[in-house]
Amino acid sequence: MREESMILKGNSLSLLNEFELILESDPLIDEVGFIHPSQFVTLNKEASSSLEHEDANFWSRDHKLAISTDVLLPLYKAVKDVFMHAISQYKSHENLSDASWDEGNLESEVMKHSKALLLLSCDFGTAWNFRKLIVSKKQHMLIFLDELFLSALVLSCSPKSEKAWCHRRWVIKMLAGKCSTMQVIVGKESELVEKIAERSKMNYRAWNHRCWLVSYMTTEQVLHELKKSRNWAGLHVADNSCFHYRTRLMLRIREDHCHKLEDGTSDGNDEIYRIWQEELDWNEALIKCYVGREALWLHRRFLSLSWIRHFTTNVGDTSNYRVCKSSINADIGVFMDNELHLANSCSTIPDNEFEDFQAQAIYSATYILWLTKQISDSQGIELQEKPNLGSLRTMLNTACPERSSLWDISTRISGKCDEGLKENRYQRR
Amino acid sequence: MGELVVDKHVKYILSVEKRKDSFESVVLEHLRMNGAYWGLATLDLLGKLDALDSNEVIEWIMKCQHESGGFAGNIGHDPHMLYTLSAVQVLALFDKLNVLDADKVANYISGLQNEDGSFSGDEWGEVDSRFSYLAICCLSILHCLDKINMEKAVNYIASCKNVDGGFGCTPGGESHAGQIFCCVGALAITGSLHHVDKDLLGWWLCERQVKSGGLNGRPEKLPDVCYSWWVLSSLIMIDRVHWINKDKLVKFILNCQDTENGGISDRPEDAVDVYHTYFGVAGLSLLEYPGLKAIDPAHALPVDVVNRIFFQK
Ligand SMILES: [Zn+2]
Repeated sequence: MREESMILKGNSLSLLNEFELILESDPLIDEVGFIHPSQFVTLNKEASSSLEHEDANFWSRDHKLAISTDVLLPLYKAVKDVFMHAISQYKSHENLSDASWDEGNLESEVMKHSKALLLLSCDFGTAWNFRKLIVSKKQHMLIFLDELFLSALVLSCSPKSEKAWCHRRWVIKMLAGKCSTMQVIVGKESELVEKIAERSKMNYRAWNHRCWLVSYMTTEQVLHELKKSRNWAGLHVADNSCFHYRTRLMLRIREDHCHKLEDGTSDGNDEIYRIWQEELDWNEALIKCYVGREALWLHRRFLSLSWIRHFTTNVGDTSNYRVCKSSINADIGVFMDNELHLANSCSTIPDNEFEDFQAQAIYSATYILWLTKQISDSQGIELQEKPNLGSLRTMLNTACPERSSLWDISTRISGKCDEGLKENRYQRR
Repeated sequence: MGELVVDKHVKYILSVEKRKDSFESVVLEHLRMNGAYWGLATLDLLGKLDALDSNEVIEWIMKCQHESGGFAGNIGHDPHMLYTLSAVQVLALFDKLNVLDADKVANYISGLQNEDGSFSGDEWGEVDSRFSYLAICCLSILHCLDKINMEKAVNYIASCKNVDGGFGCTPGGESHAGQIFCCVGALAITGSLHHVDKDLLGWWLCERQVKSGGLNGRPEKLPDVCYSWWVLSSLIMIDRVHWINKDKLVKFILNCQDTENGGISDRPEDAVDVYHTYFGVAGLSLLEYPGLKAIDPAHALPVDVVNRIFFQK
């Protein structure tokens, strides 16, 4: 029994050595994956060039590394043991401030084992921390960039790893102010998020990272990002995170613009007005093209409410917005007419493709209720031409009875209605 | 409709600790402290906390504490606010807060508050509104809220509010039900719910309920049992829980049970885990499912435990 476990341990140590050797011999590995051993055969068939490494446990070629799922457990146990051993040695020598300790050697042990460990357990915080500790002692640009490379490698197999994204932010904060290529780094970060978001849909951590980057961007970069992300968003209309990213960019643009107005370097709202109008038009086109997408309607809520607060005059606004107010005085009633028209056109349900169109009808009606409530709540104004909220409510009560309390409160905003959706547009089957 | 298979869930929770044979179970050892909280809180809600030797657990917890006062996710790991709250919560479940040097823990936490009122998760400086909740909840349990700058802490959380009424990780971050729970919970504990636009946030939260009755955490996402907790507790704290269909949600959670071997999964037919088992049971507790202890939506502890902390001093 005892002998058996010794053999097992010996085996896992040789696995570990093999793994770390592969990582060391090709420092440019940029993608790692865990695959079932049966898939190794398929990989080999596809391989056109010669393999750099291949056996029953690991496979690597063109800087891509595959690890067999069969060895994950023993490999992880071995890596964790050597890592824990290395950090305890590192800590005890550091505490003794022992002049004779071979700092460089202990450090490289910790760096080597933490890398192997993080590829298997992406959120092992202590391993990330020790890397931060060692790297911050060096304060060397290239070593910081290596950390970005490692965290990208971890993200290639664990795109949602919170600690890997966090490690990037730590590195960027360390570089900020010290590094002349900050803009380039921020641009590359943004591209990395887009690449990962392509493979890992609706990845909150990835998009949160991109939002965080915005405060490090120049105004020109922000405008460029807005332009660039539009295409992606149009192809991923269900990904709310990308629309939120655009929200973040637009608010930053408006903020920058307000500062310009304050210090007199700009005197008009035309630029901001154009950006908002374009986004509204584009969003409308997407809504008509992709029927029943929640993220599109939620984005419209943001666009419309901020449009009304920013560009219309008959709204009691907060000081923040008043600064930006100038030549464009749009009428809130005209704006709402247009929105009602859009909602109207989205509430017809043809007999075929019932479900998407039903969703579209619900989203459009909810959108009008939401907007009306926000306007009267936060602005304290009455719409001159109220949408026919009563009929909207009837429709929503039939379609989504579980939210009846919500429909009740949102239509308590009373008043006579001249315009609105016609109840009978909604045909129940 | 099936019922909650209480005994099987108890058996499942007790068995999880012993499972060391798969990569998936071993690879999460760095957050064992969170696991302990999920498992033990579930047992307590089910009225079965005595199925387990508390001394052993407490001894292990104290071995995870660092000189700084913070707790690690497991022995030999680095401390983090995430594990510090879980450690304190588990001690509270066992009525063993007296084994702690409360000042020491509180100093660790208050030392992580930044100039702008936000909190870092640990000494490495990542900021997140979640950490504000962890700090405030933990200090509240320890009766040490006076150790931090509360006004700044509250203002920072308020600065994470979005146009949709929800909250993100940092100012300008996307709204997410988990973050919303943290921000609303922290505001509730500090008596600052006036920073929340209740109708607006309630609207966003109740739109998380999908056709199956389950709740998602963000628009267009699939429903997931853990959001039964994040969304529901937030709705309760802002007094808008009647805006969703509770019966359908109960059914959804019960459908995610493994009725043979115990445990609850994120969605029907998926594999179970402790995390979703806890959030499923906690969600049912908020929904006043019969036979379960009531849970406090802000402190995420059974109401009797919270009462013991605040009214028996
Ligand atoms: Zn979940």
